[in-house]
Amino acid sequence: MNIRKSFRETVKLLAFVLPAFAFYSLFVLVPAFGGFYYSLTDWNALNRTHNFVGLSNYIEAFTEDPYFIKSIWFTLKFVLYMVVLQNVLALFLALLIENRKRTKTWFRTIFFMPNMISMIIAGFMWLFIFTRVLPKIEILNRTWIGDPRLSFFAILIVSLWAGVGYLMIIYIAAIQSIPGHLIEAALIDGAKRMALLRYVKLPMILPAVTIGLFLSLNSSFKVFEAVYALTGGGPGRATQVIALNIFEEAFNMSNRFGYASAKAIILFFIVAMITFIQLKIMKNREVQA
Amino acid sequence: MKISSADKLYSHFTFVMLILISMITLFPIYMALINSLKPDGKILSDIMALPANPLFSNYATAFEKTRFARSFLNTLVVLTTGLAGIIYLSSMAGYKLSRSKGKLSSFFFFLFVMSMIIPFHSIMITLTKVARVTGVQGSAFGLGLIYTGLGVPMAVFLYHGFVKSIPMELDEAALMDGCGEFRYFFSIIMPLIMPITATVAILNTLWMWNDFLLPLLMLTDSDNYTILLSTNMLFGQYNNNDWSAILATLILAMMPVMIFYFTLQKYITRGIADGAIKG
Repeated sequence: MNIRKSFRETVKLLAFVLPAFAFYSLFVLVPAFGGFYYSLTDWNALNRTHNFVGLSNYIEAFTEDPYFIKSIWFTLKFVLYMVVLQNVLALFLALLIENRKRTKTWFRTIFFMPNMISMIIAGFMWLFIFTRVLPKIEILNRTWIGDPRLSFFAILIVSLWAGVGYLMIIYIAAIQSIPGHLIEAALIDGAKRMALLRYVKLPMILPAVTIGLFLSLNSSFKVFEAVYALTGGGPGRATQVIALNIFEEAFNMSNRFGYASAKAIILFFIVAMITFIQLKIMKNREVQA
Repeated sequence: MKISSADKLYSHFTFVMLILISMITLFPIYMALINSLKPDGKILSDIMALPANPLFSNYATAFEKTRFARSFLNTLVVLTTGLAGIIYLSSMAGYKLSRSKGKLSSFFFFLFVMSMIIPFHSIMITLTKVARVTGVQGSAFGLGLIYTGLGVPMAVFLYHGFVKSIPMELDEAALMDGCGEFRYFFSIIMPLIMPITATVAILNTLWMWNDFLLPLLMLTDSDNYTILLSTNMLFGQYNNNDWSAILATLILAMMPVMIFYFTLQKYITRGIADGAIKG
């Protein structure tokens, strides 16, 4: 009786879960595990067959591919700037906005609007700004695209422009969920604006900061469209991010799918490791707060 | 509470700040808009000026060259397929996984959630092979099916969390009365989880609408291009010289999502906040 009952439960579970799981396996798990396998082969778009080559793709990526190493450092630098600036600006905007009564919705609408625009469209639009509009303004007249150092900031500006509003929404929600009596109690105790922020608001929204950091880490590692639209990875390969390096390796340059898969797996491990460390650190801080 | 003069000063200061930041935020869109209404030669000479007599022919060109009606329809096919798949499959899975407590259930849930940290770029190469082998590559409908697979984990997670807030007693009462499990799910649970369905629908619509790389990899025939692909192709053709036509194209391409945003603004921002906190 019991066995039959649990068997029936299992069948029901599978009936509900398997359809979703089938799609998910086919388009996520199979490519993920397949990618891991192919990263150990010399699979090439041109050949029908492939040979097992062990770790040689990984060794090549780290020792004989200066552009890949450069793209990793470039991406890490971008991620660092992005995570800090995106969160600071988003929190700043959220704090500026939440005190306003009548104009709150207006500003929120405006700051979030860029997030609605596809990054590829935003990239092209900003290319116009960088190459045609800013040169008309005396102090901003620089070669934004074409100078490797400045194109880094061009990519950063576009990414921030599009991304800040998203985190701002999350921070606004977090600030609004702080219980009113906490704020009142602090005010009655004579807390000034900065003290209120430092001792009440910031500790209360730490969980949202964890999420904010996680989201910006994850999204900035995947930066692709902004670079694709603005610089195409150039000049030379100065602004090539990891995602673009993998894309070009696989679909434009060598068509070495096996080798590009190895790079893709390296990207996965970098993202997983850094995300894990970040969550670990933040979770510990939250407990203390 | 009485408002001190320091508070008033602070309030004025923040207001001025907000206005300034708003202007910077809107500047690129404003520039694109005014210059899309000028003849091409004018752009270089009078870039900041409002168009003397707005010219809509740039939009006509853009509409024609991007085959807008067709691209729009393709995008809709992708969206409808993907949304239907994600909502239908994830709500079932999320509900059942939330309700059953066994090892198998936790295992499935773990598999779904685990994948949320896999960057798309890590799977895209083999995904093109899977798409070719299964025959979903090359069509808008097929692209929708791929989005279903990619979108399921996050949606399952959201449904899983939401179903917890629905009392178990409800299940027991209905099932006791002899209601079949599927009928119970579709006629009782489905309507109850509408709020999270709205969130799932909004988040996924925005994602699929704005995603560029996956369609770029999957759609090769320009007959099947989505709006973003057509825009990208046009951009390549003009080789960023004919800016007035390009800007009109960009404005045209962002129009649908802007309309979507201004109609559903309240739900979008709420959906983002919910999705992030539960996700």
